[in-house]
Amino acid sequence: MALQILIVDDSPAMRSFIKRVLKLSGIEVDEFHEAGNGLEALSVMLNNPIDAVLTDINMPVMDGETFVRKLRGSGPFIATPVVVISTDATTQRIQTMLSLGAVGYLQKPFGPEQLRNELESVLGVNYE
Amino acid sequence: MDGLIGALLYSCSEHVLETMFFAPVLEEVDAAASDGHSRVTSRLHFHGKPCGDFEVDADPAVARALTAGFLGIEESDVKPLQEDEVMAEFCNMTCGSALSSLGRVEYFSLETPTTLRPAEFAPVVEGVRRGFLLDQGTLSVCLRVDFDRN
Repeated sequence: MALQILIVDDSPAMRSFIKRVLKLSGIEVDEFHEAGNGLEALSVMLNNPIDAVLTDINMPVMDGETFVRKLRGSGPFIATPVVVISTDATTQRIQTMLSLGAVGYLQKPFGPEQLRNELESVLGVNYE
Repeated sequence: MDGLIGALLYSCSEHVLETMFFAPVLEEVDAAASDGHSRVTSRLHFHGKPCGDFEVDADPAVARALTAGFLGIEESDVKPLQEDEVMAEFCNMTCGSALSSLGRVEYFSLETPTTLRPAEFAPVVEGVRRGFLLDQGTLSVCLRVDFDRN
């Protein structure tokens, strides 16, 4: 199962790192899509069949909380899996994002194995 | 409290360097030894409970090597803008990682880091500071945490 992955982060360097780690992880990716904030991400999702979203929280224009809230509000993306990737691993933040509808939470720093495990768990697949 | 912050700062910095920058720490060094030298510096303020500041300074050769390691490119291909972005990411990740590990933290929000290249570095943040020797030179981090204000 080759995936269409959307990476949402305001840092081009971090988006590049996540793509690199995904390639190293062994996960089969058909196409990478990128967005610099939640609003851009919604636009990308309207035009592409996204299988999973990896999103940061602190972003300009539309942050990760608002983005996930909008995805889960209604419409075609209500079931698209969203994994949050953030430096913030406080209990309060994790609970907030999961209650909004994120299905996974990965704390930076992370390596290829952790990212693969998180995506396998979220998507119910095994790339071993 | 400073001893606990220092220990967390060391372990979080080492973990970030090794996991995301593929840069092993060779040994701990005196952070103050970098004062007065040319350094690439990234700094941020954070709000919440607690609030405070975080600062990282690195030898220019270290900043270039970390950027190459993070992006998976050759050091000769590193552009100044990429170096600024990657040092900001290091600042963001290490600060967030340390705060998340600190028991008394309720919530926090990191401001966007700013990266500078002072000719003669002088630390701006007055907090707990730790220094590291990497293959290409030294890097130090400093965290100031204020539990009494938001």
